[in-house]
Amino acid sequence: MLKLIIEKELRETIGSSRFAISFGICALLIILAFYVGARNYQVTRAQYEAALAENLRQMEGITDWMMVDQHIFLPPLPIAALVTGIANDIGRTVEVHGRGELTAEGSRFNEDPLFAVFRFLDLDFIFQIVLSLFAILFAYNAINGEKEQGTLRLTFANAVPRATYILGKMAGTFLALAVPLLIPLLIGCLLLILLGIPLNGGDWGRLALIIGAGLLYFGVFLTLSIWVSALTRRSASSFLLLLILWLFAVLIIPRSAVLLAGRAVDVLPIDEIATQKSRLMAQLWEEDRKVMANFRPSQTEDTEAMLNEFNQFMQDQAEKREQKLRALSERLEEQRRNGERLRERWALWLARLSPTASFSLAAMNLAGTSLMLKQQYLDAANAYQERYAAFIGEKTGGMLRSGGFVVRRIGGADNQPPPIDPREIPAFDYQPPPLPEAAATSLADIGLLACFNLLCFAGAFVGFLRYDVR
Amino acid sequence: MQNNAVNAGNDRPSAPVLAARELSKRYEDGVLALDRLNLQVQSGEIYAMLGGNGAGKTTAINLFLNFIDPSEGEALIGGIVTHRDPIAAKKQVAFVSENVMLYPNFTALQNLDYFSRLGGRTGYTREDYRKVLLRVGLQEEAHAKKLRTYSKGMRQKCGIAIAILKDAPAILLDEPTSGLDPKAGLEFIALLQELRDEGRAILMSTHDIFRAKQVADKVGIMNRGRLVAEKHRSELEGEDLEKLYVAYMAGYMEAAV
Repeated sequence: MLKLIIEKELRETIGSSRFAISFGICALLIILAFYVGARNYQVTRAQYEAALAENLRQMEGITDWMMVDQHIFLPPLPIAALVTGIANDIGRTVEVHGRGELTAEGSRFNEDPLFAVFRFLDLDFIFQIVLSLFAILFAYNAINGEKEQGTLRLTFANAVPRATYILGKMAGTFLALAVPLLIPLLIGCLLLILLGIPLNGGDWGRLALIIGAGLLYFGVFLTLSIWVSALTRRSASSFLLLLILWLFAVLIIPRSAVLLAGRAVDVLPIDEIATQKSRLMAQLWEEDRKVMANFRPSQTEDTEAMLNEFNQFMQDQAEKREQKLRALSERLEEQRRNGERLRERWALWLARLSPTASFSLAAMNLAGTSLMLKQQYLDAANAYQERYAAFIGEKTGGMLRSGGFVVRRIGGADNQPPPIDPREIPAFDYQPPPLPEAAATSLADIGLLACFNLLCFAGAFVGFLRYDVR
Repeated sequence: MQNNAVNAGNDRPSAPVLAARELSKRYEDGVLALDRLNLQVQSGEIYAMLGGNGAGKTTAINLFLNFIDPSEGEALIGGIVTHRDPIAAKKQVAFVSENVMLYPNFTALQNLDYFSRLGGRTGYTREDYRKVLLRVGLQEEAHAKKLRTYSKGMRQKCGIAIAILKDAPAILLDEPTSGLDPKAGLEFIALLQELRDEGRAILMSTHDIFRAKQVADKVGIMNRGRLVAEKHRSELEGEDLEKLYVAYMAGYMEAAV
């Protein structure tokens, strides 16, 4: 009986012109999302390599390691092209001096603001918007449509248990819609291979989990639609109600959550931090100027020794300034981060009232483009800065560029030092969290999606058991 | 196709295939839709429930099919109380609704296949479906067409074909001739007579006095949820059923049934 009902659902859904048209559109958009993602990755990769080359080119001819301006860049990640998350919003370039605070600049949206207006057509968008509507379009009249059609009466004039019918209905509708969706998704994967996108085993695992989470999300809207259609008599009413629920789930709840959290939790503004830091900086410079005015070299005969003494003095001053600034900065940043973390936690948990937010967060965590990306990138940059500082220190005998100044005596044309070899500089590499870590981070959201599915499934099941089939 | 009818022809058994005993339905809003209905339909008998809108005919059919539970009394199919064991009871009955609406994207053959398998009949071949469609008057060229292209009369024929394929001893029909043109109505009546002759117990609700008199072995007149009169075919001979019906409906006459 169950098999028969599933078969009927499959045949009825797949045989309809409504399916042919909407599935065609969805399939096209899915394939397009993979194609656009792959092309974006290639473009970003080319830009990244050009930026690396330019960085090296700018070091050509430099003879003093102290004069090096080292920039590091966030490398493009293949999966990030499919689920962009915040990858295009954060800065990709960081200037590294060996000490001091690092800031990432030059985001993709900063360079191409047009893309920020409409965002990218990525898998996240396809699942969030297109496929949730696709689910509603096919299941909004799953039960009340059969009643309006008169087939429900005829069906239950037979010895059909209600539980079997609703199970068959849900399984059949899911299979009829979700399984065909795997075809364009597989074509999309094939496209990635054909376009030469370098995906490793971990990337494929991430992609599989993102698609799995997407199907769970799709299931939520499917079972929700069946539930609503089992609570209403007319299909027009269920369609309207589902559109309102969709608006709340996709647009209103996630945005309201951020607004509410912003109102509930105060975060120290960046401007305030900058003001306090520049005030301290000005004060320290004032103090340093007085100290510098009193600087007297111990030896005045040997110019080289005098310069070295002066440079050491300046380094010490810079170090002290740096320490004081760092202390203030760390305190203020800590205060801001605590506020941000609290606000973020509130916003995300409120947003998770919507399955759309759960899916989006799970997908971004798996793709490595979640809110954590910025911090992870800066952490990697800071770790790199330590290595870089050690390297430059080794090359310059402990001297680093520090926002102050150093006096170097440059010999005449005869004893001009040879140019530095920039390829000696340690390379920066950014790796997103490994798959097990990403999967563990997204587990809560995937679990929530499963809970949403269970809730809607139970609602549809119980709703139908009480449904008036007349 | 096996014949599950209890007994064919006029050799009627004593146990009715369809029976209502003090069957009542009061809805949650307090409306008494059916008031102590008592009726019996034997094998090889057509019982026509005649009445206007709101007379309780469809409520009675809904109670037989356990679409709703009775407030009092019971409906029985093949001796099974429908609200106690609806699954077993529904195995004994086929149903044709007023406006047969099958799956519009399926062909007649696909609809027949689905509903006969749903009714527990799994051994039919395409040839069986073809034969039964021809029997109900649907020409070969229509068999593979999608139902959305069918007229109401054609859909009704398809509905009766599904009922035939279920091969159940009882058939319930809710206003089956409503909206059919005269030719289709005649064909339908002829089919009902065939099924009656095969030994099915048929209970139909209708407000078509002419058809009721033409085909029914027993006519029950219903008014405001009550069965106000019941006449056997022999009692109707020489009677003007139309006048009788109007009189009962207007409340001039009332018979204890």
